[in-house]
Amino acid sequence: MENKKKGMSVWQKQNAAGWVFLTPATIMIVLLIFYPMIEALITSFRWGSGVRVYSQWADPWYKNYVNMFHNKVFMQTVGNTFFYLIIQVPIMLVLAILLAQLLNNKDLKFKGFFRTMVFLPCATSLVSYSLIFQSMFQKTGLFNIILNKLGIFHGNYAFLQNTWSARFVIIIALIWRWTGYNMVFYLAGLQNIEYSVYEAAKIDGANGWKIFWNMTVPLLKPTIIMTFIMSINGTLQLFDESYNLTKGGPSGTTMTMSHYVYNQAYGNNAGQFAVACAMSFFIFVLVAILAFINMKVGDTRD
Amino acid sequence: MTKNKSHIQRRLIPSYIFLIIWSFISVFPLYWMIAGATNTTQDVSRAKLTLGTHAADNFNKLLEDSDLWGNMGNSFFYAIIQTVLCLFICSLAGYGFELYHDKAKDRLFAFLLLGMMIPPVSTMIPLYRMMTKLSFQDTVWGFVIPGIATPFMIMMFRQNSRNFPVDILEAARLDGLSEFAIFFRMYLPVMKSTYAAAAVITFMNAWNAYMWPKIIMSDNSTQTMPMLIANLASGYVIDYGELMMGVLFCSIPTMIIFFLLQKQFAEGITGAVK
Amino acid sequence: MKKKVLSVLLVGVLAVGALAGCGSKKSSSSSGSKDKGVDTSKEGEHELSVYAWDKNFNIPALKAAEKAYQTKDPDFKLNIIEQGQSSDVENAITKAGTANDFSKLPDIVLFQDHYIHKYVSDYPDAFQTVDDSTADWANLSAEKISYSTIDGKHYGFPVDNGAVITAYRTDLLEKAGYTVDQMKGISWDEFIEIGKKVKEATKDDTHPDGYYLLSMDGSGNDLVYMMLQAEGSSQFDEKGNPVLTSNEKVYQICDLIVKMQQAGVLDLAQDWNEYTNKTIVGDQVAGVINGNWIIPTMKQVNGSGEGGIDNTGKWALTTMPTLEGNGKEGYASNGGSSLYLTAACKKADLAKDFLSYTFGGGEGAKTTYDEALKNGGVIGTWANATSSEVYSAPDAFFGGAPIYSTIVEMGTKVPTVNQSDYHYATREQVGNAIQAAINGDDLKSALKDAEDQVKTQIENGSNK
Repeated sequence: MENKKKGMSVWQKQNAAGWVFLTPATIMIVLLIFYPMIEALITSFRWGSGVRVYSQWADPWYKNYVNMFHNKVFMQTVGNTFFYLIIQVPIMLVLAILLAQLLNNKDLKFKGFFRTMVFLPCATSLVSYSLIFQSMFQKTGLFNIILNKLGIFHGNYAFLQNTWSARFVIIIALIWRWTGYNMVFYLAGLQNIEYSVYEAAKIDGANGWKIFWNMTVPLLKPTIIMTFIMSINGTLQLFDESYNLTKGGPSGTTMTMSHYVYNQAYGNNAGQFAVACAMSFFIFVLVAILAFINMKVGDTRD
Repeated sequence: MTKNKSHIQRRLIPSYIFLIIWSFISVFPLYWMIAGATNTTQDVSRAKLTLGTHAADNFNKLLEDSDLWGNMGNSFFYAIIQTVLCLFICSLAGYGFELYHDKAKDRLFAFLLLGMMIPPVSTMIPLYRMMTKLSFQDTVWGFVIPGIATPFMIMMFRQNSRNFPVDILEAARLDGLSEFAIFFRMYLPVMKSTYAAAAVITFMNAWNAYMWPKIIMSDNSTQTMPMLIANLASGYVIDYGELMMGVLFCSIPTMIIFFLLQKQFAEGITGAVK
Repeated sequence: MKKKVLSVLLVGVLAVGALAGCGSKKSSSSSGSKDKGVDTSKEGEHELSVYAWDKNFNIPALKAAEKAYQTKDPDFKLNIIEQGQSSDVENAITKAGTANDFSKLPDIVLFQDHYIHKYVSDYPDAFQTVDDSTADWANLSAEKISYSTIDGKHYGFPVDNGAVITAYRTDLLEKAGYTVDQMKGISWDEFIEIGKKVKEATKDDTHPDGYYLLSMDGSGNDLVYMMLQAEGSSQFDEKGNPVLTSNEKVYQICDLIVKMQQAGVLDLAQDWNEYTNKTIVGDQVAGVINGNWIIPTMKQVNGSGEGGIDNTGKWALTTMPTLEGNGKEGYASNGGSSLYLTAACKKADLAKDFLSYTFGGGEGAKTTYDEALKNGGVIGTWANATSSEVYSAPDAFFGGAPIYSTIVEMGTKVPTVNQSDYHYATREQVGNAIQAAINGDDLKSALKDAEDQVKTQIENGSNK
């Protein structure tokens, strides 16, 4: 390196400057993300509600974790969250790839308009769209009225008061909000693929489906894995939708993990800080494991 | 040639149909929001789909029941402060990690990235305790401090710094510019578009934040727009016209940004993973 | 560039479309809820702050008390900081407890009766005892005071009476061939049968399914509590431990609720808001069973609403059905709240004097309770107030019946049942069990699960 020739002092100065540049961010991340995580871990070994949590330790130290696994409501919220994950993420990502593929066609007209429209839901805040969907799926609301007029329903169906329909309302809302978001990644990925690659394939007589499956998908694989990780991470942390759209109801059967943890600390069961910390640490472990598996799966290709 | 073209377009008909349907799905809930904001709560319940004449009533009710302008101001204030600080701190770090990288810094970077996996719900209780110890509850600092340094933004600046021409750096050094002067005078102007993308993303995230402000802001006068509308929806009496008007107000700023800076928004989302 | 112009136009249309005609009227000056945060040290000598919720109910009662006390202390000012709902007040205590700093709380908080035990035990430093006040404890309802008395010490001053009312729409019952008197002393099984007939008989254009005889929020867990209390029974033993599986009545009642829901007699609303606005104000029900604080909600259907529906004179009060029926009438209480002094209150003497003078049965109590009833429909529990003419006045909405004295009388018949710190935790779990049963699970095992959950929570929150 040229730098080295100029003598150590210059190099050292530069190196020191480099450290100075990244120090503020490093300190903040350590103090505001890692340290609280460790404190949460320690708190998860404490015991009792309210102010007692500051003076009592769990006995045995892992008792909150044992109780957590016996807590059927929490386990149901874990199940709910994974249900959203398993149903919503694949549907959303397939739709996003499909839309990106359609929008990447150079013969398509009004491309800019369609792209804007597909992307548009991302401009709404999570609370806003939750409330909009909540109002549309009311028992006497829009969808009931439409479905009754179409003669599909006879009488009003309480979408949000029935566990399964409420879960699907959440999934529909999530797909609405996030498909365009993921489409952006795929579109960017597709645009990096040389058009000539397609032309060559077409000349070879491959049909659209074959091209998509044998060329586009492999080329997009890194993007797909990345959107997968992000979607899993996002879904495991779902809060706003559960909190505002269904309010976790009916009776907590649509609640997400984060919502339940929030409730343990600041909601109905307020003050269960040790329990909440144990659960939140559990969520962290889940996120980490899934991200790790994903990255491993991604690695095998390279 | 023209025949060929029309043939291609004909083959694209299913694509058009699908895209039109999807566009309709995308727009409809937002149209529903606007229609709701102009109708009475009874009309919203009756699924009236045309624009109504009660926008003024809903707006006045909203003004009466909530501190609309105050909360709107809070949201802008918090989001702008957070954006400015986040951009500064994270670009500094991204620049440092990329242009001065060595083994130790790379390891530190990988370590910081682990922070992305920590869900906010895990840190909320200790963070709240920390912020209250510093008397930051119900202040702009309580809101912004946890959001200033994010692994995502550092990664984004680091990735984009790869495009920063090293020649400029070398030339500036030969000119005797200090390392900090290089950052401010050379790096900042060159990376304008990255800053724009990062600003859009940070602003949107800060504007839309819900769980953390809900915890740290307990005073009505310090609340943000998402909290305002969530409160409208959880009171004892809920007026859907008023609520939709509130939702509309909560959405207008992000909508404007979306329509004006869509390119930067898209770049911001994908920026860190190039 | 064209695109940009287009998008700006679009946003403009969005904004203008929605704002058309707005801003014509400046909003009235902001009410207490928008005032700056509480700093009790900056208040005047004669000023107190209070967190309260429900502008149609509790807030008018507090305003009445403020006015009453001003006859004693003309400079007195009560700064009422309105909260969206009761849980906001609970949250304020929890948050202050996380930081172990209660100084940002207001002087006084309105608090739900069923919650206060748990909060005093979780955050002993958050509240002050009020034993040395001059309140007329003897003449305040013993059942009510039992909530705010913890370990033998008084912590709070009662506001409202939670006596449960059972109200029916006489016109709708008539369509099915019943009168309100026939609804008195019936069993829940009969209630379901009547409910089915009412639903069949009240189908019309606006109600294609007919009217529900009853609605409840969430999974109807409030109903479980009220139905149990009407039996003189409880979800708890004397020590406050849950007895969901060993008390056969819990099973019977939950089973009845599931049956009611499945028969279309009971409408379980998604949340509180839907319960009040859609089912009651939205004119979907022929019956209401809840704490009497629900009356102001019912009275919103007085023709002033958008649809112009006016149910004045169509309602009538009676007592709850019971399990055995055959003339046995049910009495219960639900909800209700009291006022508590927080640790942040530095003018404890003023606060105690104010509350004793007004809600506590002092000189200003009569005016306070009379005005609270007139303006907010708040029915007190102070024995001497109930003899006032405001309480015996006929109520046009209920066909001219003197409902308030009736309610006070019903309140005296409410049996005192076992309570627990984990009252709401248990309610929630029982609600989950009911929901599970509605979804097809076995109710017995669902209740067993619920009991296990509550036991874990109790263990978690215990001192040891």
